Amino acid sequence: MKNDLNIVGKRVARSDSLAKVTGEARYTSDIKLPNMLVGKVLRSPYPHARIIRIDLSQALKVPGVKAAISGFDAYGIKWGVFRYTQDHAMLPTDKVRYIGEDVAAVAAVDEETALAALSYIKVDYEPLPAVFDPIESMKDGAPQIHKEYKNNINIHIHIDVGEVDKAMENAFLVREDTFKAAGEAYAMMEPYAVVASYKNGFLDLWMPNAGPHVRAKALSNLLKMPLNKVRVRHINSGGAFGGRSEVAPADLVASLLSIKADRPVKLTHSREENATSSRQIHDIIATVKTGMKKDGTIVAKDYKVIYNGGAYSSTGPIATSIPFYVYEECYRFPNVRYNGYRVFTNKGIRGMYGCHGRAFLAGNEAQMDLMAKELGMDPAEIRLKNGLKPGEMTATKSKITSCGLKETIEAASEKTDFKKRWARTTRFKGIGMGCVAIMCGFPMGFRSGSSCYVKINDDGQVTLVSGLVDNGQGNESMLIQVASEVLGVPMEDINLICADTEVTNLDPGSYSQAAAFVGANAVKAACENARKRIVAIAAEKLGVKEADIGLKDRMAYFVKEPDKKMPISWVVREAFFRGEPIVATGSFFPNIDFEREWVSRPWGQMAGTFSFGTSVAEVVIDPETGKVTVPRFTAAHDCGHPINPMAVEGQMEGSILQAGVATVTEGNLWDEGYLLNPDLLEYKVPLACDMPDMETIIVSSHDPAGPFGAKEGGLTVRMNAYSAVACAVTNATGELFEELPLTPDRMLRLLERKKGVK
Amino acid sequence: MKTMKVTLQVNNEKVDLQVRPYETLLETLRDRLDLTGAKEACGMGACGACTVVVNGVPLRSCLVLTPEVDGAEITTVEGLKKDKKLHPLQEAFMEKGAVQCGFCTSGMLMTAKALLDRNKKPTKKEIVRTISSNICRCTGYKKIIEAVEAAAKR
Repeated sequence: MKNDLNIVGKRVARSDSLAKVTGEARYTSDIKLPNMLVGKVLRSPYPHARIIRIDLSQALKVPGVKAAISGFDAYGIKWGVFRYTQDHAMLPTDKVRYIGEDVAAVAAVDEETALAALSYIKVDYEPLPAVFDPIESMKDGAPQIHKEYKNNINIHIHIDVGEVDKAMENAFLVREDTFKAAGEAYAMMEPYAVVASYKNGFLDLWMPNAGPHVRAKALSNLLKMPLNKVRVRHINSGGAFGGRSEVAPADLVASLLSIKADRPVKLTHSREENATSSRQIHDIIATVKTGMKKDGTIVAKDYKVIYNGGAYSSTGPIATSIPFYVYEECYRFPNVRYNGYRVFTNKGIRGMYGCHGRAFLAGNEAQMDLMAKELGMDPAEIRLKNGLKPGEMTATKSKITSCGLKETIEAASEKTDFKKRWARTTRFKGIGMGCVAIMCGFPMGFRSGSSCYVKINDDGQVTLVSGLVDNGQGNESMLIQVASEVLGVPMEDINLICADTEVTNLDPGSYSQAAAFVGANAVKAACENARKRIVAIAAEKLGVKEADIGLKDRMAYFVKEPDKKMPISWVVREAFFRGEPIVATGSFFPNIDFEREWVSRPWGQMAGTFSFGTSVAEVVIDPETGKVTVPRFTAAHDCGHPINPMAVEGQMEGSILQAGVATVTEGNLWDEGYLLNPDLLEYKVPLACDMPDMETIIVSSHDPAGPFGAKEGGLTVRMNAYSAVACAVTNATGELFEELPLTPDRMLRLLERKKGVK
Repeated sequence: MKTMKVTLQVNNEKVDLQVRPYETLLETLRDRLDLTGAKEACGMGACGACTVVVNGVPLRSCLVLTPEVDGAEITTVEGLKKDKKLHPLQEAFMEKGAVQCGFCTSGMLMTAKALLDRNKKPTKKEIVRTISSNICRCTGYKKIIEAVEAAAKR
């Protein structure tokens, strides 16, 4: 089938790239509306304090200030993804829970006036004892951050499959390790920004987001406005990586300011505000106990993972579960117990990074390597032995349909001469492998599916309407490519309208890795319905059977005699004559068990399909400085049949930066509640000179339910690149790390412990 | 508020402006001239998203005060096209897939343009060294390096 494709599977220039290379692509902070004001936020200087009083009156007297708000101007509604996690007011009225929390805001004619006005807002606080470490936070007598959650335990995920204790007892080899990992910064290049424009009862909003429909719904709740009055509009997004998934305090702030001032308001975060007061990434403490048979078969896994959840619930239950799921979707665990605790602390609000939990994976994978070594096996062998195969079920009862895990392990091993190099004992050099599976979508209720409209215009050009959003990964171009394939018109003939809640229909967004599998499938379905209409008319006009009509290069043609043809635009005009213009809809709903619930029922089909991948990293450790460098990196990814291989490679290469090199450089540094490295000088995002030689291998397969066989493209590397580097360090040192990232100080301690070994 | 008169040559067009003494070139370009291609991503010269070419030199416009560059010739990403035709770098960035979210792209293009203007045939090492002044969070830089190499051959 894929051999017949004209455009899907080709390395095409992305449809959005022209506007981006000319500087014309608009991002939120580029928007200028008539009468627009500048918004600025007053933030909490305390990690934990009761709010006694907020006085805005003096700020309102500053010339040029048009509105000032605090939480007392909101509606007392708290946000949370689930009914049982609604604890985030976005603008608090009871107490502040982290340094940098939004407390009040002003809108003024310019930035200087707005900044000056902030100093006239008077807030009386009563400071409270604060807690920053999740272990301390769980203890009796620790400061209580939300009164509804005893011992500050926000979420407890408990999964218990089989008989773990019995299997551990009978295992040939059992090993238990505990390790810690710092939270990272998303460090997307675009600092968060919102433009809110309230007019005649309608609120229009622009902001980088990973799902406009989900965002509009959250804001309609927070603002007590009907959903149709809150319109999230299309705008380019300067990177998200999980950090733009949930509604942001700034969304509520800008909206309230605009409603109050009756003028548009733009609120742009500084780089530092983006780090302290938009989303951050969970830090973890994980204990992993694994039992194996003598032949390396995993018989049991027992986990206790503590997530530092910061001040509010956010995507709590999902964040507490996903690290485990992406691991169980990769390997066979007949007996497994997982206890995940998400604990409140007085740190910033948190979200999911990539798919979330790569440090958890790294510890699992490195431990597996050490156990394999003890059993006389190598990492590739033990992964092949325990890796899931097509048709198998995960421990929590998700069926794996298409699965190229084995192929990715083999391809990455072969490319790197892995087995030989892993066995070679070279001082301060190592090679490591990481595997993972990624769910392409997960249960999000009726928002798990996508619907698309398509209309063929009178010149034969196409207008495509989809709720999918592009955060930079190329989703827009992907949809256009799929439509171009089905309708036989070039990509430049297709106009995409997307991510605008007034116009587009529901779609999960670029959230839960569903974009290709769900969003593109809906586009394909809609275009196929339009195609049927085109084919019917063309067949009639050309006097041939419908089954013998092909569409290509803007023409409908008789496949047995390609010269017998007519332009698609003629077909469209004929349809107009008949009073039946060619418009079509199409939907896709993945095969998910909707009874599945993150806390109360953690089993059933998680996603319509899963992607798989294997990364191999090579590292060199400087014994003097402890610095780890990554000279070479190889990643193999089963993304089904890639729609645009060049875009998939780009995702993989970017993931090697964000997850591979990041393993040795990236981590948020804290002094109690103060984030010490909120800017791009102190937070080390890898530069071009830090990057390894990269080899990306797309293990092309065909997913039976994916659009043209496609699954998500790139996220496996965003997860397993971290493991690969960590495992390479384990290979070089023979020791499991205690804490990630693997910064020079930690490496020196590790080397000290292993002095004389290897 | 006290302002100063400056004259700039921006993308081959002369502009006379009254600016605040402490106004950055990035603010002047974005807010006064509506040239929003240059982005503010860090505001402290760490990332290069605001890079524009000033008298042939790539500068971080967030660190340059407009009065400092009175009389200068400035090229922004909006001035890269010539006779409505894309610059070879722009073409190559598209063809090689060097663009993802696009927020760093303008700065990256201007850094690369300044390199190619002074060194027509840079080695890969020189390209890597030069663009290491700019942060890209999406691409891993590989396709950006390939694009600059390809543009240098045109």
